[in-house]
Amino acid sequence: MTDFAQVLADGLMNGAIYGLVAAGLSLIWGVMDVINFAHGEFLMAAMYVCYWVGVLIGLDPLISWVLTGAFLFLLSAVSYKVVVRRCIGKSAMAPLLATFGLSIFLKNFCLNMFTPNFRLLSGTFLEGMVFNFFGMAIPAPQLAASLFSLVMLYVLYYFVKRTRTGWAIQATAMDKEAAELMGIDTERIFTLVFGLGGACVGIAGGFMASYLAVFPEVGTLFSLIAFVVVALGGFGSIPGALCAAILIGLVESFAGFYIAPVIKYVAVFALYIVVILIRPKGLFGW
Amino acid sequence: MFAKRLMNGILERRVMLLFALSALILSVVCGSAFAAEEKVIKIGALFPLTGPAAVSGQNCLAAVQTAADIINGKHDFKDFPLAEKEGLLDGYKIEIVPGDHQGKPDVAKSEAERLFNQENVFAIIGSYNSSASKPASAVAERLKKIFMCGASSSAELTERGFNYFFRTAATDAIESKEFVDYIDYLNKNKGAGIKTLGLLYENSEFGKHAAIEGKKAAATIGIEVVADVPFTVGATNMNSEIQKLKSTNPDVVFGAALGSDYSLMARTMKQSNWAPKIFINYCTGYQNPSINKELGSDGNFFMGGMGYSPEIAEVYMKAALPAQEIYRSKTGFPLDSDSIQESVCLHVLAQAIEKAGAADTEKVVNILRSETFPSPLSLSGQVAFSPGGQNNKAFTVITQIVDQKYLTVFPKDYADSELTYPFPAWDKR
Repeated sequence: MTDFAQVLADGLMNGAIYGLVAAGLSLIWGVMDVINFAHGEFLMAAMYVCYWVGVLIGLDPLISWVLTGAFLFLLSAVSYKVVVRRCIGKSAMAPLLATFGLSIFLKNFCLNMFTPNFRLLSGTFLEGMVFNFFGMAIPAPQLAASLFSLVMLYVLYYFVKRTRTGWAIQATAMDKEAAELMGIDTERIFTLVFGLGGACVGIAGGFMASYLAVFPEVGTLFSLIAFVVVALGGFGSIPGALCAAILIGLVESFAGFYIAPVIKYVAVFALYIVVILIRPKGLFGW
Repeated sequence: MFAKRLMNGILERRVMLLFALSALILSVVCGSAFAAEEKVIKIGALFPLTGPAAVSGQNCLAAVQTAADIINGKHDFKDFPLAEKEGLLDGYKIEIVPGDHQGKPDVAKSEAERLFNQENVFAIIGSYNSSASKPASAVAERLKKIFMCGASSSAELTERGFNYFFRTAATDAIESKEFVDYIDYLNKNKGAGIKTLGLLYENSEFGKHAAIEGKKAAATIGIEVVADVPFTVGATNMNSEIQKLKSTNPDVVFGAALGSDYSLMARTMKQSNWAPKIFINYCTGYQNPSINKELGSDGNFFMGGMGYSPEIAEVYMKAALPAQEIYRSKTGFPLDSDSIQESVCLHVLAQAIEKAGAADTEKVVNILRSETFPSPLSLSGQVAFSPGGQNNKAFTVITQIVDQKYLTVFPKDYADSELTYPFPAWDKR
């Protein structure tokens, strides 16, 4: 029973974190119809920012997430203005290849700047803190990251659903030309959406650097899982992304423990294939 | 008028032909002159310079370049063959041509083909990941070219009966035997009561073979395998893996996790507040000083097989210390047990070329197969290859990390410390 509870808790925590990583991707994909292949590298960049501000000025991830979020908002918005914007309206492959190029640039930039060394942020406020109850061990850094992910997802959802800018985002996603006719500056909306997508992954990365090693390849598997989360949850749907992420976290955790650890990603991708076959638009897609 | 033009045309053509011929002769003469001046033997260094194992790959490349620097330059290193002489043969220099396989077997194969066919390297040194060494060395074997393998530890590599493949490091079979010898020693002499084994390994050529050898060795002293936990390389988390070990609670765990997986494993164990009585690693992230520096005190009390550490070198491998300083100037870290094997590869190959009197593959291969080479960068001090290419002088000791220092605990002849046993609980440190 303890094992079951532990596996459940691990799955929920990982799922919540996957949710925030995927939310930005989902927003960009849903609103702009652009697949951002550099999403994993944005995560890596955020983790490096968190690591370096931690090492150089001693800022704890509990505070530096603001900085990583803001930095990634800027990086993402600039990437949109400089790279992605030029591909919008061209062939469907153009933004895909452009973001793929961006991902290679970011990865190799960090490889050359920081070497491929694995870097671990030590001495953080939550480091080594573990909550033990009912035989379960809940590490504080992951718990904080997952709880904060849930809060951020709610904030993002509220922003998109309940604010005028959010309505403009939704309108742009539904019909860009009609939105323009209504006076919405869709170019500004696109920049904002790309920036928000970056900010989400930036905040997630800021928290994840407190317990994961930072290195140029760290974002690879996370971005792959984020793609699955988005496709599973439905493009552009934030609640969909959260539900899909939690589902994936649980499948990964239970398959890893009760079948075999090496099967956990097989199970995740198998689930994805099944859902796509039965419901191609995803669980919450429209 | 027509005759004049014709004459001019013929003259112009003659002048042009003269120019062309002169240029051709000049280029051939200059080319051969440069070739004569440029007495180099190209050696390919094929490692994962990017990708998940890039840290180790770049360290391996730096180690090969360190050996090349020693061979090419003139140094007064004591007991270090080829160090005092500048270059090889009658003034040949070693030129290292890097190749990056990114940790991917298919890329390793195509890079090996590029190095041999386009770069015309005499031999390849590599490739760290066993899964990459396997196809890359098959290319060398097909082309009848030498493949010197350093740190790839899959025992299967030297069981293929290849003629041009030579490996300097200990295999996971040799390491597994040393691990169980030590466990047997602890059980008999210290009453350790180690009865059950867990295996935690990456799902790769290296990890799977390490696990097979670990199981075989454990069976020889009657240790029961209670957990067999392979994991995906570059996993986002290791919660299920560690939970699986925790639920079966083996007395000892044999680990085969490289790079970031190693640090993730150590951190997840800490978060789960679980540890076996002892945790012994094959050639993994354990041996990488940069990873252990980042892990800090969380890296303490893990154990592993080592063919080199700065602490061992201070006592048993003093001749290797100057090489370590050259390496440190390139990487900022001391040599480690994996990367030093790549230095050994080049050093032994260079000695064989020197003995052969020319960079002649067949002659060099015959010498590699038949002779014993002095090797100040090896713990045993020697390298000699058995049929199949395994270094039969390969030898490792078992160490334990305490305060980022590798303390030798076994064999007793080499031990400089007592084992901290059992692995202290994470919350009681």
